[in-house]
Amino acid sequence: MKHIRKAMLGSLLTLVISAPLLAQAQVPAGYPANYADTIAAAKKEGKVVIYSTTDTASANPLIKDFQSLYPGISVEYNDMNSTELYNRFISERAAGGGSADVLWSSSMDLQIKLVNDGSALAYASPELPHVPNWAVWKNEAFGTTYEPIAIVYNKRLLSGDEIPQSHADMMRVFTQKAEKVKGKVTTYDIEKSGVGFMLITQDSKHNPAFWDFVKALGAAGPRFQSSSGTMMERISSGENVLGFNIFSSYALLRAKKDPSIGVVYPKDYTLVMSRVMFASKGAKNPNAAKLWVDYILSKRGQTIVANQAELGSIRADVEGDQTLAGLTKTLGATLKPIPVGPELLSFLDQTKRLEFLKHWQQAIKGSK
Amino acid sequence: MRASLPRVSVIGLTALAVFLPLGLIFYQSMLNAPFFMPNKTIGAGAFEFIFADSDFWDSFKNSLVIAGGMVLIAVPLGGILAFLMVRTDLPGRRWIEPLLLIPVFVSPMVLAFGYVVSAGPVGFYSVWAKQILGGVPWNVYSLTSIAIIAGLTHVPHVYLYSSSALKSLGSDVEEAARMTGSSPFQVARDVSLPMVTPSLLYSGVLVFFLGFEIFGLPLVLGDPEGHLVLATYLYKLTNKLGTPSYHLMAAVAVCIVAVTFPLVMLQRHLLKNAGKYVTVKGKAGRQRPLPLGQWRWVAAAIVALWLFLTIIVPLSGIALRAFVSQWGEGIKLSEVLTLDHFRTVFEQPTLVRGIVNTVLIGVVGGALAVACYTAVGLTTHRRNDGWARFVDYLVLVPRAVPGLLAGLAFLWVFLFFPPLAPLRGTIFSVWLAYTVVWLAYGMRLVSSSLLQVGPELEEAARSVGATRGQVNRHVTLPLIRFGLLASWLLVFMIFEREYSTGVYLLGPGTEVIGSLLVSLWSTGGADMVAALSLINVVLVAAGLTIALRFGVNLHD
Repeated sequence: MKHIRKAMLGSLLTLVISAPLLAQAQVPAGYPANYADTIAAAKKEGKVVIYSTTDTASANPLIKDFQSLYPGISVEYNDMNSTELYNRFISERAAGGGSADVLWSSSMDLQIKLVNDGSALAYASPELPHVPNWAVWKNEAFGTTYEPIAIVYNKRLLSGDEIPQSHADMMRVFTQKAEKVKGKVTTYDIEKSGVGFMLITQDSKHNPAFWDFVKALGAAGPRFQSSSGTMMERISSGENVLGFNIFSSYALLRAKKDPSIGVVYPKDYTLVMSRVMFASKGAKNPNAAKLWVDYILSKRGQTIVANQAELGSIRADVEGDQTLAGLTKTLGATLKPIPVGPELLSFLDQTKRLEFLKHWQQAIKGSK
Repeated sequence: MRASLPRVSVIGLTALAVFLPLGLIFYQSMLNAPFFMPNKTIGAGAFEFIFADSDFWDSFKNSLVIAGGMVLIAVPLGGILAFLMVRTDLPGRRWIEPLLLIPVFVSPMVLAFGYVVSAGPVGFYSVWAKQILGGVPWNVYSLTSIAIIAGLTHVPHVYLYSSSALKSLGSDVEEAARMTGSSPFQVARDVSLPMVTPSLLYSGVLVFFLGFEIFGLPLVLGDPEGHLVLATYLYKLTNKLGTPSYHLMAAVAVCIVAVTFPLVMLQRHLLKNAGKYVTVKGKAGRQRPLPLGQWRWVAAAIVALWLFLTIIVPLSGIALRAFVSQWGEGIKLSEVLTLDHFRTVFEQPTLVRGIVNTVLIGVVGGALAVACYTAVGLTTHRRNDGWARFVDYLVLVPRAVPGLLAGLAFLWVFLFFPPLAPLRGTIFSVWLAYTVVWLAYGMRLVSSSLLQVGPELEEAARSVGATRGQVNRHVTLPLIRFGLLASWLLVFMIFEREYSTGVYLLGPGTEVIGSLLVSLWSTGGADMVAALSLINVVLVAAGLTIALRFGVNLHD
């Protein structure tokens, strides 16, 4: 009895407290009226736990703005690498303890695998009409950013026609400018980096001369790294001079501070990746999770994604150089977004993955 | 003798802490999926996979080459260094001594990163070399370089053991040899070093063993040319199949343990027998430094060269990288100086927490670990029953497991062992893993203090009716308090340096500099890596300075 009374008192108190707060956090324009219930329930939950690969420094403006929009909901933001994120989530789920309410990762394929395995909460966000179709899967997984994949080079050491302008052009540089680039081309070690593997398999779909490209790369004596950061460090120092399949979001950020870094969007096709977000089905704070997802997809959230987090907005109505809208103007049809969907699963199949890796290694060694 | 309750519970807890994670690794290696997934089945698939993978054999071969190379470099150099430092009138011995120990206490991640920045293709020293010689005559990314660097950084291990053995010998035999006209080199080769053969042999096995588990150096230096060793192969398996392949990783770990465990046992055997060989002793205690004569400067040059290559090159690289925004060919360093990296480090709550945690785990965690080691040490102190022998072997077991995997196993323990589950997100998890991984090392420190207590003192207390507990509390522990303080400092430094064990335990709340370095390195935050490395070196240096001020005997 005592418990019940206490609980009732508790909810009464919440009602009293949240009433004035509700007035502050109004239902965003265009949202269904019952969204107020979600907000109220989220406030009761009081927090949202996020596992993310986007580093805290970039995400901070989003967290702050979210908290000012929904005071009373705190954000527990944990950044980690994509493998760690995946491992943590599946093992925590298996152990039955608490885990994340929202997962946000640049490893699109692992995110889709989690969703495919039934980890995601089905949720038709009111923001969906503003998100391109390719970035939404089953109302469960949502692409949240727009990040072209670029060629990065050292401006001190490469100039003029030594700077490749497309994937085909890279082959030319590998062979014709060998004296400049031999042993100094870098890209992901696709066995160590899941993202690197995903990008190269996308290349294999879009580049008609893909395996010739790999052979030419092999002949150029590539230096494989496990992250874009180590690649750029070495490109900047001149140890390597040219790298490809690097997130332009990171490269442009570094180029701002580092005059040695040059960025090229390949003219034949530019892959675009998008950080995939979903709310967990077993979330302890499902309503707060929904608010977070809606906020990130909203115009307000995306404006910060583009202008403060520097990740590129996926919404057509957010202006800027590094947004879907801005980039479509400059690059047009060469942009090839990687669709958020089950196609990404094909290379997570062990046999297929190992086959690809073997083919890749042979092609790299083949012409040595 | 009947085993008392406290004794049995200490032994029981230690056994649990050692065998639970190890058992999980063995169990996991025999499954075909993560052990917590419903779809797992038992089978030898994991072993079949790795044995069919050419990368496994390549990395196995590389591990053998590196470990062998390390022995070939570290043992002779360490022996000569010990001879020069202990036996001769080498100039500057006093200030060289603490420098010798730096590589033991600096994380190999830090050293490796330092080598990239200073001696990599466009490193600071390489660029100078290029200006003077017209080319860079070395390549730090080759397998040979990795073996040489690993060998050079493990010289102190050999030095520690052979110098303490040499110190216990009189110098009259050497003087005799010198007087009959042998050069100092001949004395070292024909007289001094043969006398400490058991120590050299022991440290040779130790270096080989350490070489087999080496992780940080090949992780950083092996990447560009794709040289794998077993530990980095294991790390690579995290991603190779796209989703975590714990069973494969566990299978590799079992293979590593199959090689390292016999080596640990061999070390134990050698250490036990070491005393038996020392028969030709000079008159005890009388030692006079051997005059090196004209060889003085040759010897000094050897030592200086080693110091330069092993300490100055990597650490100056790190220090420089921490204060510049970019580096490489064609960059004027004076134009790119900056404090930004440190500012960024201190702006990021994760990294600040990492630094605080690292200090905590060294200071508080180190003290707690020494307390645990002492408790375990007391269970075997002055006893020779079955329990004591069991503990003797027990403490050696974790030594054979690579830190990386031990950390992963502890993650599982904290996830699926309900009593510990609430502590998973806390620094306690990292502390427990560190304490178990360094059990053998800590036990050696503590038991060497315990052995210094004269048995008659404890017997006196016993004879007036004190219980074992009272003897421990009122006699033994107070007598070894300085020894324990020294152990605390050494454990502090080891915990500051540790990096691989925390990798899989890394999460919000459990950040330590060591694992942050691995994580930041693999996500590419080179600026942060440099700044954090320098902070780490400063912490270790602080520990070392305090240790030296208090006159802690670093020769265990």
